[in-house]
This record gives sequence, structure tokens and C-alpha cells, in this order.
Amino acid sequence: MNEQDFKIVFTGPMGAGKTTAIAAISDEPPVSTDVVNTDRAVFDKALTTVGLDYGRIAIAAGQHVHLYGTPGQLRYRFLWGILGNNAAGVIVLIDASQADALVQLDAFVEAFGSGKRAPVVVGVGRSDQAGALALDAFVQRLERHGLTLPVFGVDVRRRDDVLLLVDTLLCLLELGDIGRKIV
Amino acid sequence: MTAVAARFGRIAAGVAQRQLDALALAAPGLLCAVLLSADGFEVASLQTDKGSAARLAAMASSLSAIAAAIAREAGLAESNRMIIESANGTIVLANVPDTSPPLLLAVIVADGCVLGRLLWATTNCCNAIGRAFRE
Repeated sequence: MNEQDFKIVFTGPMGAGKTTAIAAISDEPPVSTDVVNTDRAVFDKALTTVGLDYGRIAIAAGQHVHLYGTPGQLRYRFLWGILGNNAAGVIVLIDASQADALVQLDAFVEAFGSGKRAPVVVGVGRSDQAGALALDAFVQRLERHGLTLPVFGVDVRRRDDVLLLVDTLLCLLELGDIGRKIV
Repeated sequence: MTAVAARFGRIAAGVAQRQLDALALAAPGLLCAVLLSADGFEVASLQTDKGSAARLAAMASSLSAIAAAIAREAGLAESNRMIIESANGTIVLANVPDTSPPLLLAVIVADGCVLGRLLWATTNCCNAIGRAFRE
């Protein structure tokens, strides 16, 4: 990683789309640590990340953003601090169709410093599904905690949606967080 | 009994527990052993409290998955085993062959257990658990 590069972390609960988001924008095939998911009661999907995801995108000549994804389950919390170390910013992905989406938002935003250690941008997925919470509910929830963070509705399968989150994070860094640049 | 142990059934979990007991005899200095699913759930454990077993299961699954990713990145076949050596002990993380869902065995021994003997005992234990779970 050269001194112009940034490290950002994608985090959020199981099934929020962290692996998919990194795969959607990475310039090269991402490193994946997915294994068979035996916890179908919590989220019904075949595979789950238990280590990390890693990808990389170029944002200028010789300058890259390094993309790290965390596991979402609480039992992997020990990795959140390791992967979050030296991160210039954090993208929290939340699944609006999950019943505990607001609690998950609280937990992940707080675990990654509530935007005080490094900027945080929130991406809310599946908000068009029946019973899903509206985007405004997430904004209001953050405001109740005294937080004003950028919140976007996203489809993490769409490259442009994920790039919007990354671009927003980079704008926040340019606006006043150059001290958090990886050197 | 964990959810995964419940899924395999009490008999299979009991068989795994007996194999871990046999491992303790075959590997002198064994501090603890945990059989876990690849996604980090304890199936059976030996000489450890449940909180420690759950944490070790999560960490072992992460390390094993990262080791597998490194092996793939290096163009090698899927990794079978990972060894962590410290000044006062050794940890072995080994894949249990051909189980569905995939299982791993994490073994921690104190300094003094000969590495070759530990690997031999761990491999035998994994093979026995694999056979038992396939049956």
C-alpha cells in the first residue's frame, strides 16, 4: 500500500451484502473467505464470510482504495477491530427488510466509532421489499443518537450504487479528514 | 448441545466427544480441543469451558478460511492444516475430511508435545471423526 492509498472497511450484519458490494466494484477478483453457512435460521443463504473479503479499486494513477469486508456475525467481533485498524473510513451496510435492522445499525455504527474515529457512510439495502423500513427510519435513528451520517438506499449488486458510497466516503475525507489517510 | 451438534444428532456428537477423549491420550500435553463447523460453531469440545470453546471455534474458523484463501492465492490446492507455534505451546487447525457441512478440529497443546506426534494424533482424530460422521 503506497502513501496515497486508502483502506476502507465494509461492515454490517450477516446477509447485508458486504461480499457482494466488494465484488461489485473491485478491479480484480476479490479475496473471499466464504464457507458453508450452517446457521440458516439467522439468514438463509448458502455461504457466509468467516474471515475477510478483500478487493481494490484504482481512483487515480497510482492511487488505490483497498476494500476490506468484515464477517457480520457477533462471534467474529474480534476481527472487527483488527480489520478496522487504520481504516480511513467505514461503510455500514444494513438490510432494511430484517426485523432488527435499526438495532443492527446502532450496533455496527457504534462498534466502528460512530463516525468519530473515521467517517462512516450507511448503505441501506432491500428497502423496496414488503415490510422493509423506509430510509428515513435509519436517518431518524441516527439523529436520536446525535449522529448525522450520510444514508443511501443501495442495491449492492449495482456497481454505481456501491461506488456512490465509496465516493461519499472519499468526499468526507477530503473535506477534513486527511489526517486519517494511510501513511 | 449447539445447533450444529443438534443437527448432526446426539449420537454423532457423542462419537466426536469420544474421539476427542482418545486424542487427549494420544497427544500428551493437550490443553484443549474443539471440533467446529467451518462457519465457527462448536460441535464438541474437550477441557475447555463453553465460552472459551465458542471463541476458539470462531477464531479457528476465521484463520482456517484465511489460510485457505492464501493457499488459493498462491496457486496451491485447498489447505488441509495450519500450525501456530509459540514459545510455550502449539495450535493445530486441521480439516476433517469429507464431511458435510465441513468440519475443523482445533487442538492446543503445551510446550513439550512433539510436533510430529501432535500432527499424527490430530490426523488420526480427524480421520476417525470424518468416518463416524459419514456413517
